[in-house]
Amino acid sequence: MFKEGLLALVGVAFWESIYMTIISTFIAYIIGLPMGLILVMTDKEGVRPMPIVHQTLGIIINIVRSVPFLILMLTIMPFTKLAVGTTIGPKAAIVGLLVAAAPFIARLVESSLKEVEKGVVEAAQSMGASPLQILIKVLMPEAKPSLLVGSAIAVTTILGYSAMAGFIGGGGLGAVAINYGYHRGQTDIMYIMVVLLVIIVQILQELGMQIAKRTDKRL
Amino acid sequence: MDKKEIMIHLEGISKSFPQKRGSLEVLKNIDVQIEKGEVFGIIGMSGAGKSTLVRCINLLERPTEGRVYLDGTELTCLAEKELREQRHSMGMIFQQFHLLMQRTALENVCFPLEISGVQKDQVKARAKELLELVGLGDRLGAYPSQLSGGQKQRVAIARALATEPKVLLCDEATSALDPNTTAGVLRLLKDINERLGITIVVITHEMSVIREICNRVAIIDGGQIAEIGGVEEIFRAPKTKAGRELVYHEGTNREAIEGPIAHCYRVVFRGGISGEPILGGMMLECNAVANILSGNTRMIDGRVYGQMMIQLSEDKETREKMLAYLKERDVEVEEVYYV
Repeated sequence: MFKEGLLALVGVAFWESIYMTIISTFIAYIIGLPMGLILVMTDKEGVRPMPIVHQTLGIIINIVRSVPFLILMLTIMPFTKLAVGTTIGPKAAIVGLLVAAAPFIARLVESSLKEVEKGVVEAAQSMGASPLQILIKVLMPEAKPSLLVGSAIAVTTILGYSAMAGFIGGGGLGAVAINYGYHRGQTDIMYIMVVLLVIIVQILQELGMQIAKRTDKRL
Repeated sequence: MDKKEIMIHLEGISKSFPQKRGSLEVLKNIDVQIEKGEVFGIIGMSGAGKSTLVRCINLLERPTEGRVYLDGTELTCLAEKELREQRHSMGMIFQQFHLLMQRTALENVCFPLEISGVQKDQVKARAKELLELVGLGDRLGAYPSQLSGGQKQRVAIARALATEPKVLLCDEATSALDPNTTAGVLRLLKDINERLGITIVVITHEMSVIREICNRVAIIDGGQIAEIGGVEEIFRAPKTKAGRELVYHEGTNREAIEGPIAHCYRVVFRGGISGEPILGGMMLECNAVANILSGNTRMIDGRVYGQMMIQLSEDKETREKMLAYLKERDVEVEEVYYV
């Protein structure tokens, strides 16, 4: 009886975690990717230097990133309530994850694009490419393998965050680990959750690296 | 005398880079006119400002002062968009090739065509043609990482030629290549110049590159043009210190000998002999020794290229015999006064 109940519990928690992670990664990229691209383009060494835009964006990203995730979740609760109508459960957790992950992704994207050799950009400029063409046809395709590695890092980090969101009623594997394992003292359930999380992270990370390697033409 | 048409005109170009304190002046008041259809060399030691100068031609670097004209159009006054338009008529190749690593050779050549708005159905055909022109018709689908240095530079050349430019700028294009490959790439550039009539500007620190393909050369030293003229003329009798250093000391220790030296000759091998120990032969034949001061020769395809500085016998008769021996063997000899 205990076993059956547990299985159902884990099943629900598992899908909640996956759902939170995928949805928030996806939306966080919609916000974070352009932010990262703007960072690279507006850099003083970039294709379209705009120091004020660059610095302002950089400072905003740094501020959000310097707040620990749990505290960030708590401080943005009024905003969460406004956005999804509740401050608990997976939906609310997604809002927190987005706010935390988007700036993180922006930095990942920035560092990936900065790996592209400056000379290649110079060559494109010498051919008369516009900043937008350089972004779309040079920087992003050339950085593709690195961007994919970055996305594997992003997904696994967001999964970790989503588990933390369990502390404040975020749902998912983390919530089960905390509610049953910590508050009720059922440590075996906690360990099962930890093992599950480890397995998911391993699979996602390996998958990301493999895809990145496959698409990279530099051998 | 007919006046040659000017393709590139640099007028009073100065360029300085802001530093923490003050600024670093890299180019000082440079005036150059490059004629249509010629291969023009710009040579200088590293740090002389030659790379900055070539970037001033297509305005990858904006000169602090001065104007740049391309085929009569002033580039320095153009807005970004118009400048990009003009850049379609200037190709450029680099020491490190700078190919798109995630694109195949064919796709790399397609790139400039895509960005200049050539119709999609024509892009591939044109790119294929160009790769055939540079001798890579069989490597269309290869990625840059699968190509050798020489092949990568050929792809870069094809890419630079894709938009049918009037000018091809080469920034140390052969410096990362071995002598054999260098010779091949230089031959290709010469061929392009002759067949397509494209004006070529070559930046290099190697006199041999200049000698191989250039019509005229400018020697740049300390951000200024030290001398400018026909290659043969400068090669024979460099007037300035910078010129002498470049011509005589190619790849040698220039601190070794100073001041005028008597009976000193420069011997230039141009591939006419193959493997014959010509200096040894001369010494045996004339029964006198020559003092080798410096040498910079290399074998390419079993032929010797390069130059040597030698000091010949004090005795006039022996000396003339030696010179005659060398000239008979198709070796260029000339007396020089500075080593």
